[in-house]
Amino acid sequence: MKMATLSRPYVKIGGLESAGGSASPSPLARMRGWLAAWLPAIPLLLLVSTCLIAPVVVLIWQSFTGMGETGLSLDLWFKVLGQRANQDAIATSLFLAAACATVTLIIGAPLAWMISRMLRGSRAFWLGLLNVAANFGGIGLAFAYMATIGSVGMLTLMVQGLGLPFEAPREGSLPALLMAYEYTNIPLFVLLTIPAMSILRDDWWEAAQVAAATRLVFWRRIGVPILAPFLMAGWLLIFTWTLGIYGIAYGLAGQSGATAVHLITLQIGSALQSDVLFGPGRAAILAVVLMVFATTSLILYRVMLRRAMRWL
Amino acid sequence: MAMNAAQAPTAARSGSGRRMSRAAKYLFFGAALAYFCVPMAAVLLYSLATRWTANILPDGYTLQWWQATVADQRIQSAFSTSISLATLTAIIDIAVVVPAAYWSRVRNAGIRPVVEVAAAVPFALPYVVIAFGLMQFSGVVAPQYQGTFVLLVAGHAAIAFPFVYWAVDGAMAAAGIERLSETAEACGASPFQTLRRVVLPNISPGLVTGGLLSFAASFGEFAMAQIIGRGLDTVPLWSAEMIRSYTDTAGSYNRLAVVTLLTFAVLFVLSALVVYWNRGQTVRLLPGGGANTEGVRR
Repeated sequence: MKMATLSRPYVKIGGLESAGGSASPSPLARMRGWLAAWLPAIPLLLLVSTCLIAPVVVLIWQSFTGMGETGLSLDLWFKVLGQRANQDAIATSLFLAAACATVTLIIGAPLAWMISRMLRGSRAFWLGLLNVAANFGGIGLAFAYMATIGSVGMLTLMVQGLGLPFEAPREGSLPALLMAYEYTNIPLFVLLTIPAMSILRDDWWEAAQVAAATRLVFWRRIGVPILAPFLMAGWLLIFTWTLGIYGIAYGLAGQSGATAVHLITLQIGSALQSDVLFGPGRAAILAVVLMVFATTSLILYRVMLRRAMRWL
Repeated sequence: MAMNAAQAPTAARSGSGRRMSRAAKYLFFGAALAYFCVPMAAVLLYSLATRWTANILPDGYTLQWWQATVADQRIQSAFSTSISLATLTAIIDIAVVVPAAYWSRVRNAGIRPVVEVAAAVPFALPYVVIAFGLMQFSGVVAPQYQGTFVLLVAGHAAIAFPFVYWAVDGAMAAAGIERLSETAEACGASPFQTLRRVVLPNISPGLVTGGLLSFAASFGEFAMAQIIGRGLDTVPLWSAEMIRSYTDTAGSYNRLAVVTLLTFAVLFVLSALVVYWNRGQTVRLLPGGGANTEGVRR
């Protein structure tokens, strides 16, 4: 802002001069100054603006205009959001993400706490194992689910071999997706929250004991209140990531076609293959919806983290 | 006296409760261990099984799937596509990020906020959304690039650049690159010389980490490859096709098991290298998150 007000007079002088016939160095110099300041960043900014920013803008634009036949209107939004299958997809995605994040929190938080208080050797073992699991994702993880508790999976055959009637959740169902998602969600959550666990100092527990507090009281009055913002931040992060998972869902639910669970990501993916009813406008709207959810929850995550950092 | 009375029941309770809680702890960790190990064991056994439909363990073991998979032309070409895609992604990201990060530290601080906002985009938005948007955008401006390798490289470079940016920027901060390059300039080095002789050697840990992370992100990426890379054959796309064709080809699941293990091995080795390269330091992945994991997800 300051630059602009300062340089405006020079432009005018330059303009007068060039009108008089002589070459004006000022706009050129300004240009060169700008280039010197920004040139090394231009390739990155080009990449980012064409492959990240422009696509997002186009999606938002298309969600309001359809494919450009109509002007700006909310018609398509009403049509798409009024449709049962789309409402279903949005509700299911939100529910699945919230359920996944909650299960992750319930299992991951104690796991992170206990691992953070382990001796060095066993801590290294668990961190290694979680690191391995966190790398297992996408189609490979979907396949691992089938190989483990699919209709001819290892665990299924084992339990049936014991003579028990056992049938795992169908591959495209919500419990199946939840179980598969947790395989990477829990390790990510634990790896992210372990650093926070060191905030809770051991002498606080000793001090609480001196004041005759039980373990339960210690956790209720000291442990949980201090860790809560970190854990909530982790919950929000898992929620955001789960909303956007595509590979695992495609591997597990994509194949059973119409009977499979409706998810926003799957709907966007399948809109490309065949969508005679709405064209890509429908997928654009679902994409914008997903964008809004993910952005909101990530902003909340930042807020939560800032609050958590008070204790650092 | 009153204190003793208050403490006595507490001590007694924790004495009998300790055994309970220890048993619960073992149960908890045992269940977690099984949860993380059994699926991997199942995939491994699948890749070695002759036939496996009725018993707890496969009917017999064979290496034929491994041999057949490694010799399969289509799988070979899928691996070579994925590897060149990931290599190009890493190279492009390093080439565009290093000058920008360097300049934002030594000359124009205005670059930083712009890049940091851009780096938050692939974290906030699911890859499906970015991929779909890129598909629509390229349909408007350059339809001839749809479904090509070039577009997919550009897309992967865009979603993987934050890994490189955070790693490189962290390395620059750790090396104190501002003072180093000031000194180099004072000694009469040109900007290019400074970059090559002073900056790059001092940020090499960041370059390696960023390169490995962006390679891994591209190698395992499925959503964008499926949406804008139609007609290409990367490893995740091949896997997706196989997982749908259980009834079509005999042994397709066994070969899928082999490819799953190979993919996993690649990603795991990369992440182990990243951890090895950053002993003692934490990799800053999430803005303000202070995380020390790699961002392999989805």
